Amino acid sequence: MAWEVGLLALLSTLIYPGIIFLVVIALFYQWVDRRFYAKLQNRYGPIYTGPRGILQPVADLIKLLAKEDIEPSAVDKQIFRAVPVLILTMPLTALFMIPITGTWALASFEGDLIFIIFLMTLIAILAFLGGWSSTNIFSTLGGMRAALQALGYEVPMAVSFMGPAILAGSLSVSKIVQWQASHGLWAILLNPLGFGIVIVAFLAELERIPFDIPEAETEIVAGWQTEFSGRKLALIRLALDLELVLASGLVTALFLGGPTGPIPIIPGIAWFMIKTLVLVLIFSNLRALFARFRIDQMVSGSWKYLVPLSILQIVMLELLLGWLSF
Amino acid sequence: MWRELFTSLPFVLIISLATSLLLYFYGGRISAKGTKTQGKLAQYACGEELPAEKLQVNVERFFIYAVFFLVFDILAFMLATSLGSPGLMPALYATITLLAVILLLPMLKSRIG
Repeated sequence: MAWEVGLLALLSTLIYPGIIFLVVIALFYQWVDRRFYAKLQNRYGPIYTGPRGILQPVADLIKLLAKEDIEPSAVDKQIFRAVPVLILTMPLTALFMIPITGTWALASFEGDLIFIIFLMTLIAILAFLGGWSSTNIFSTLGGMRAALQALGYEVPMAVSFMGPAILAGSLSVSKIVQWQASHGLWAILLNPLGFGIVIVAFLAELERIPFDIPEAETEIVAGWQTEFSGRKLALIRLALDLELVLASGLVTALFLGGPTGPIPIIPGIAWFMIKTLVLVLIFSNLRALFARFRIDQMVSGSWKYLVPLSILQIVMLELLLGWLSF
Repeated sequence: MWRELFTSLPFVLIISLATSLLLYFYGGRISAKGTKTQGKLAQYACGEELPAEKLQVNVERFFIYAVFFLVFDILAFMLATSLGSPGLMPALYATITLLAVILLLPMLKSRIG
């Protein structure tokens, strides 16, 4: 039945593992992150809404949506309104190319890894545009820092993504996952340096604490988000949560074998949840462990250490592959 | 045919955009409507007066890193297109770039201090 297959595809795009599932899992991971971060700091974190405060992210989202949306009179209105909508679109679209339930992603094509890198660059550019269109000294500074930071972490991240791609001989995330599943070998075993670099780069991409320079609240209020309020802030917050899912999902797919595991009875979605949850806990742990870097330390450190190390990783991998093929 | 359409990239992009717009307009529907006063519409700021026209992005700081970024993005894409023949040649190319970073960074430091 052609139309039934079509309906199934439409439902999987809209509900599972599509839009609704992604939003729910993003809010759930926000709760996990906040609870774990609070535990590490000897706080409780959210406890009142729902069992153990699990509904707190939903309540926060609805509260922000229902709040008054104040647009300062000096802002560049078109860009200012477009940025929150577009910044939520980017991680949602990218998440469709991550395998979640099986070894195939919903919308996968050859070269989607490059497309995901492109979408993540767009997020940083949108952050810059959002700060710049606010015409506020704090926002402009935050936006500039976001763009400068993107110039720092983008290259080592892209080069490190190439490690698993070279192993699998493909630029498609789904094919990289299939290669790891069929060879029974996780790419992290051959790319340990690349894995570490990607984790550091994602901390910067997610604007988490050692690299939360664009929204450093002790220096520049809320950075590029200063002037956003109400529904616009709600969309930006949701976008950042989805980015956390995207980051952990992409690291899982590229380095940790994706939604497959050594015990075949457990379904793919369970493996996906286990691996991404571990990664979210790693991100939260690192967030609680460090203090903020300065922007010049971040950018020069990234060019001094991360870029050479990522290239070194690729050289070692290529030499290993060349040695194995002889 | 429908299956390919519903899981294609443009459709997914449109669906994501529609979700964002839906949330945006729904937020507009349920949000509180306050009165607009001049103080409320002012920017968040304190200290000295700084008119919006005076805010400029300092491009000079970006420039050197933007050039670096361009050069090394080419490396990433060279590596991305070397998938068919892994081995010595991509490794050699990457090593040359690695040496270039190690040599260029001290030069950059002595140039801009």
